[in-house]
Amino acid sequence: MSERFPGYDVLAKRHTPSWNEQTRRAIDKRLSLPREPRFLGEAEWRTLEAVCGRIMPQPKTRPPVPVAAMVDGKLFEDKGDGYRDHRLPPLREAWPRGLAAIDEEARRRHGVGFAALEADEQDALLHAAQEGRLSGAGWGDMPSAVFFAKRVLPDIVMSYYSHPTAWSEIGFGGPASPRGYVRMNFDRRDRWEAAEATPGHEARAARENSRVG
Amino acid sequence: MVVAEAQPDAAPGRPRRLRPARPTGAPRGDAVERSALLLGLAALVASAAILALPRPGAKRRIASAPSIPPASADTRETTGIGARAGSRAARLLDRASALLAASVLADSATEHYRGSFQNSAMYVPLGVSALTLAVSMQRGDRLPRLPVRRDLVNAAAVATGIIGTGFHLYNIGKRPGGFGWLNLFYSAPFGAPAALSLAGLLGAAGQHVRMNDGWVKGPLLAGLISVGLLGTAAEAGLLHFRGAYHNPAMAIPITAPPIAAALLARAALSPPARAAGARWSLRLLTGIGLAGSGFHAYGIGRNMGGWHNWSQNLLNGPPLPAPPAFTALAIAGLAALGLIEEANP
Repeated sequence: MSERFPGYDVLAKRHTPSWNEQTRRAIDKRLSLPREPRFLGEAEWRTLEAVCGRIMPQPKTRPPVPVAAMVDGKLFEDKGDGYRDHRLPPLREAWPRGLAAIDEEARRRHGVGFAALEADEQDALLHAAQEGRLSGAGWGDMPSAVFFAKRVLPDIVMSYYSHPTAWSEIGFGGPASPRGYVRMNFDRRDRWEAAEATPGHEARAARENSRVG
Repeated sequence: MVVAEAQPDAAPGRPRRLRPARPTGAPRGDAVERSALLLGLAALVASAAILALPRPGAKRRIASAPSIPPASADTRETTGIGARAGSRAARLLDRASALLAASVLADSATEHYRGSFQNSAMYVPLGVSALTLAVSMQRGDRLPRLPVRRDLVNAAAVATGIIGTGFHLYNIGKRPGGFGWLNLFYSAPFGAPAALSLAGLLGAAGQHVRMNDGWVKGPLLAGLISVGLLGTAAEAGLLHFRGAYHNPAMAIPITAPPIAAALLARAALSPPARAAGARWSLRLLTGIGLAGSGFHAYGIGRNMGGWHNWSQNLLNGPPLPAPPAFTALAIAGLAALGLIEEANP
């Protein structure tokens, strides 16, 4: 995949007027997340890492966003969204139950845990969960489709895109605090915004991105 | 169905107070507040210095303008303007033209930079206003080699203002919604280019008053300035309305200038021996224009990140160079008043 925002690194804004102390504190906390599980058990953690790898595959060319650690951190801090689908148990119950049920299903079908499956086997299992076709005893009264749609997808994708590495990838400027944007019209760009490469002009975008700050 | 969950660390019912965040790091905070204030004061002092440079003191005025043709009974009869009053009026008009051109230069530079010079015509007012500023700052006693060049520059300023108005109207009209309030508020300001035309007209008026060729009539000049004041007040009114008049001082530029314009027009229509009301209102307006820049500097400092975040807030906040346009017009109004009074002793 060719880079859409070549050379853009949102962290270059760290010491510019774009960010202030509060911004730096919030981002630092996100970047210094422990990479080990703090809430989930060993087996659940392995399953979560494998699920994250299928939902949000990452390029091998850069350090990965620690998505599993971010989801685990959300559980560790019991940081709910403020709302949930009534068919799901609370955050801290839903994830361990769902992960265990997925792992149990993998063992039943293939004789090994979810993390040890081939990628296409993992995908098939996740598809089954998405379509509500999983209903082992481990699920209890929680429909696998709701767990997939309302826990797995949002928690993993939102964790991924809350990380500065993902921001750089999609040309997002990070928090508009304290500096917002002044050129609000279509196709205009403040010089502290990422420059998008158009075919044949990648070098110019890279040059502009090296000056973002 | 979605059920609400208790949040350990977010209390939705209790909105956090939004404060303009103080800039970061060690000693900023108050320092930035102070520097905003200092910058405002510096702007005031600088503008005042521009005004005071060629001092309008009567004695020095005569002494320093030896090349001005002495008033003869002739010129007095044809124009009704004595050399002394003419010299003073010419200087005031030069200064008014210079200040207005400087305001246009700084304002169009910032705003067109914000517009990323999308259209290369956006560079034109920068060049023309800079030239207008330059010729208005030249010493008037370097006549008579100047007139043609000055006339050209002033004419270019007038033309640029008119064409610029066309561009701005086109910019407003082509946006979705056309001439709706939203576009009047947020697209190219339709009244702004006229200031460059006014700067050219005032510069030309200054030159012809100095040449004493009878082109400039006090009442006509007063009428032009009254209209200019009303137009500028209308633009301030529109943009201050956009700003919801959140500060009571924002009402000043829509009240004081029309009063001064009315008093000046009255003095022009029924020429008095001394128009004290018009004079004092114009003097007051001179100060109001400068104070306006101070207010705007304060307004910029109040934006998120304050002056530390100047690269956003100079563009996003109230325009620093706009209010002295009132000062410029008030100075020109004083010149017009002088001409009217001189013609009606």
